[in-house]
Amino acid sequence: MSGKMYLSFQALSLSVLLALPASVRAVFQDEVGHIDYHHELLGVPQRETTFFHRPRTGEKASLLYTLSDLGVLGAVNPSNGAIVWRQLLAGNITDGGGFLRAPEHETWLVGAHGSSVSSWDALTGRNVWFLNSNGMVKDVEVMEMTERGGKDVLALYQEPGATITRRIHGTEGHVVWEHKDVNKDIPLQVSTSLDKIFVVSLHGSLLSYSLKVIVLDTLTGKKLDEIPLGTKNEVQKPEDVMFVGANSAAPIVAWTDNTMAQLQVNVLGRKTKQEFALPADTTEVEIHAPHTIQSSPHFLVHSRTKSGNKADVFHIDLKNSAITKAYELPMLEGSSAFSTSSTGANVYFTRVTDNEVTITSSTSHGFLGRWSFKPGTKKLNTLHGVSEVIKKAEDSYAVRAAVVTDSDDWIQIVNGEVSWKRLEGLSGAVAATWAEIPESEELARTLEAEAHSNPWSAYVHRVNRHINDLQYLPAYLQSIPKRLISSIVGSESTGPTDEIKRDSFGFNKLVVLATKRGKLYGLNAGNHGQVIWSRKANETPSGRHWDVKAIHADNIKGFVTVRGSEGEFIIVKSDTGKTVESMPSSLFPPVNDAVMVDSDAGPWLLPIERDGKLGDVQLAWAPKQTVVTRTGENEIQGFRYVEKEGLASAVPVWNFSPPAGQHIVNIATRPQHDPVASIGRVLGDRTVKYKYLNPNTIVVAAIDDKTSTLYTYLLDTVSGEILASSCYEGVDPNKDITCTLTENWFLCAFYGQYQLRESQDQKLKGYQVVISDLYESELANDRGPLGDAVNFSSLDPVDMPTGPAFPSVVSKTFILSGPITSLAVTQTRQGIAIRQLLAYMPESHSIIAIPRILLEPRRPVGRDPTPAELEEGLSRYVPAIELDPRMTVSHTRDVLGVREIIAAPAILESTCLVFAYGVDVFGSRIAPSQAFDILGKGFNKVTLLGTVAALFLGVLGLGPMVRKKQINMRWQAPM
Amino acid sequence: MFPLIATTALAVQALSLLVSAATITLSIPPSPQIPNPASLPPSTHATLTALGASYHAPLTVDNTFVFRNVTPGSYLADIHSPTHGFAPLRIDVLSATAGENIREPNLSNGGVGVERGGENDLRVWETFHGNNWENKGEEIRPVAVGGAFPVKVLGSKVYYTERGAFSVLSILKNPMILMGLVSLAIFIGMPKLVENMDPEMRAEFEEQSKKNPMNSLMAGPQPGASSMGNFDMAGFLAGQGSGSGGGSREPEQSSGNGGKRGGKK
Repeated sequence: MSGKMYLSFQALSLSVLLALPASVRAVFQDEVGHIDYHHELLGVPQRETTFFHRPRTGEKASLLYTLSDLGVLGAVNPSNGAIVWRQLLAGNITDGGGFLRAPEHETWLVGAHGSSVSSWDALTGRNVWFLNSNGMVKDVEVMEMTERGGKDVLALYQEPGATITRRIHGTEGHVVWEHKDVNKDIPLQVSTSLDKIFVVSLHGSLLSYSLKVIVLDTLTGKKLDEIPLGTKNEVQKPEDVMFVGANSAAPIVAWTDNTMAQLQVNVLGRKTKQEFALPADTTEVEIHAPHTIQSSPHFLVHSRTKSGNKADVFHIDLKNSAITKAYELPMLEGSSAFSTSSTGANVYFTRVTDNEVTITSSTSHGFLGRWSFKPGTKKLNTLHGVSEVIKKAEDSYAVRAAVVTDSDDWIQIVNGEVSWKRLEGLSGAVAATWAEIPESEELARTLEAEAHSNPWSAYVHRVNRHINDLQYLPAYLQSIPKRLISSIVGSESTGPTDEIKRDSFGFNKLVVLATKRGKLYGLNAGNHGQVIWSRKANETPSGRHWDVKAIHADNIKGFVTVRGSEGEFIIVKSDTGKTVESMPSSLFPPVNDAVMVDSDAGPWLLPIERDGKLGDVQLAWAPKQTVVTRTGENEIQGFRYVEKEGLASAVPVWNFSPPAGQHIVNIATRPQHDPVASIGRVLGDRTVKYKYLNPNTIVVAAIDDKTSTLYTYLLDTVSGEILASSCYEGVDPNKDITCTLTENWFLCAFYGQYQLRESQDQKLKGYQVVISDLYESELANDRGPLGDAVNFSSLDPVDMPTGPAFPSVVSKTFILSGPITSLAVTQTRQGIAIRQLLAYMPESHSIIAIPRILLEPRRPVGRDPTPAELEEGLSRYVPAIELDPRMTVSHTRDVLGVREIIAAPAILESTCLVFAYGVDVFGSRIAPSQAFDILGKGFNKVTLLGTVAALFLGVLGLGPMVRKKQINMRWQAPM
Repeated sequence: MFPLIATTALAVQALSLLVSAATITLSIPPSPQIPNPASLPPSTHATLTALGASYHAPLTVDNTFVFRNVTPGSYLADIHSPTHGFAPLRIDVLSATAGENIREPNLSNGGVGVERGGENDLRVWETFHGNNWENKGEEIRPVAVGGAFPVKVLGSKVYYTERGAFSVLSILKNPMILMGLVSLAIFIGMPKLVENMDPEMRAEFEEQSKKNPMNSLMAGPQPGASSMGNFDMAGFLAGQGSGSGGGSREPEQSSGNGGKRGGKK
């Protein structure tokens, strides 16, 4: 029975695949890297979770590992900077934090974030084990020496009212022992020496903490001792404790007081502490020490002042735990990044400054190596780094250092030369917009001048200009043969050029990207997404992110406006990134959003304040449209601007809130550029169904958590009237629910599990998409109550007995083979090419373009399509849509963590430009109705010319032969 | 000393972390499509979904996916891989303790992959997207060793389409071109062949070729050969006599084009 059923299922899925229309066109292999580009990113590496490490003991090659500020754990090949593997450590994008450790001579790494600890194979990126628990992980450390011989993991957890230390088996991932300490302390870190485990926590209350060290036995986890360390109110918050060393023969804990004048150091397990003076005006202190047990117990204290950096190197006497200062590295102006590297007992300190890289041994202050940067190298402004020192010969050393700079780049310097640079700052993008490349100002000015002068002088001016242009004619004529040849051979430059210039196909456009770290980037989509400018746009306080609420490109002026949530905004030039105007945060009221509105003074970005409030504006700037804002968690209001005492102020005209119990999860609006080529759809029998094309509509999706029911409302934004609504039972409120709206259709994607209404015994489960087409009337050749009326008002009732003009809705639900998020719709210049639904597949890490014809609500159910329907391109309805890999725009690329997809039309009607951002940055061009107006790479001009030539030769050769034969035939006597 | 530690450890684990939670292990066995599962990319992972629940498991070094702490319910399991497609599964976790009672006998050997058995608590079937949930496919039994349920590979994923490349061979393979070449050979070679024949054979051949309609075509229009003027090449090739073909063509044509004509009204 089951076998038979299985066969029928197979046949069904096969028929689904065959039903894919011919318009589903996958990417051609030769287009890869030509039409698309991908910045494969990790996020900005964090200081504590980045290191060089050998994934296999037998091999010499080491990889560079990092757990970035986005929670991406990745391995980078240090020789070329390419990603070897990467994983989202916590399964999703995080906001910094986390732990990453690598034991020496083992094949695995251990990472932790949130409440989970996991171990990963260092070479392949495969998971070794995963351990979830209730508490929050506060620290993870590797236990280098165990009685078993292998290495184990120590994890420190905080649970409400308890501090828990667990020893986890290194290769199997089960808990060996756990120690629970019921108290209200704040666990800070866990540390090991050869025979003991130290748990450092903060005891006491806010602003007057003292340090407490609990000593545990390595074998059983039994508490051996508890050492309180008086800190005399010096430690006020957990961040004041700078460093707890681990895996060293003598681990230390260090902290400073508020004024940063003294550094207090305690060797763990001892009751005494030692004080060291810090340089005047120290703003930040970092401590660097080796993380291996066989290394010498030396450490480096890096003090950062406003203008420079200096370092002091200390040694710990293993016998009496006395700390002595060995030497110091002098105070140098500019930035410095220190890092440690150890081989055996030797410890090396690497210093990367603005103009050189130096290495010193921990035992003496003499430079083992010193490399100056080439003159003219851009100033690095390093923040922190990691390094690997290799002793080549007795007196010769090599060093590679990977440093993170102020501009969020990750740069590797090998012996003073930059070997690669990863633009990690592009990751964590929160907003992006397309911008046209500004046209040459000179030409624009000339054309404007001609337009404004009188016809005769304009004519003379123009003739003069053209005569002047003649000087370029010889160069142009000279370039013709070259261009002709390159056009035939196929090496012509429709592709990338370094010059930022518009092209005749409209492929060269700019993308302006804002990241959560307060940076702005300008990318050239015509040249593989190359970064043409980058700049710091917003000073974000540490730990806070730039919350960009709106980004808008003004293509006439060539400006891009970015608005943040704290009222700050910045206007930059789209091609250079130069500031035109900027406003720091907190001067203007905080905003929720900003929308483009039309006014007498031109279009502008109207800020919407918290809770959907709208401020008064000058009369000339009063928006002409109804402005729809979200005034509360569950309320949407429509406002119109009316004159009041010389100013225009917003007056609410309607409001909408879903019934009690429902809350709004998604609002979909139309894209700004949404041209409609045809107002109707011609059916197979040559009748026409007229599309319901109301530009003032939005889709609101609300969910009732208790009943798991999703409600969608199509609202008229002028009147606030509900034009259509529907409800879907069994929708998961915890999974993504996204909607999109364009032309005369909208769709929502969600996870559903429900019983069919028609047949109660049929149950469904899976990711689904509901698409609804809107028509003016249910009937063909009928324009509904409005008829052919030229004007239409949402507010006036239609004088028809049938009531207001509601659209006729045709819907279908499809089950997808995986989730889709970040919905968008392709845009073309005239809207003639068919539309495709663009979506991100979070499980497959790819971007898919689903043809509209697959999601067609008019597909016939339960019968084969009639010939007339076949002519329309309709195939039989099957509930399942297999997300075919050939539909993916990003093909085999692994595009991680896409937040949004933005589409823009090219000048060519067939082509739509696509750009996706989030963790990675990806861009491509797609042709939803095939590239009908441009010759692709498959068009081989050489073959065409060769064929024509061969035919010509054939005709020349065969002609005389045929003529001779026919003449001969006539002259032969009839038989 | 050591075994004692191990037992206490597992007791701790069972008590604190895995109370009332099932562990499900799926594995990718070597198959003709994936001879070496260790070559699968690390981004391969599996998900379990149901209303209000979702679990995520990365691919482990043992080519398995391990879901821990799964609460009872009926789940849809999908395996996501950039290189291969896998059949979706239906996994029913019937009791909250699926895996716990089975864990006991395994205490001594480490504790990973301990959900052996589970015949009553954990059931796995193949399923298909968009079908009735109760329409289960083949039931999947755990492989004896680790208690993991093997998953089925459907095939490798194809992301690209081939561009129709130009090649001389593909042109030559075209039947029209082949026909043309054959007729060209006859056109050039026949007269030479005829010349080399002995006179008797030649006379006989010419007598025959007069009856052959091809000849009139080859020789071009001749005043005497008007009966062959309406020769239907396609009909001839289809094996029809030229005389009967003319009569029977009409009705066939109209029925064949009926659909299209109807559509153009």
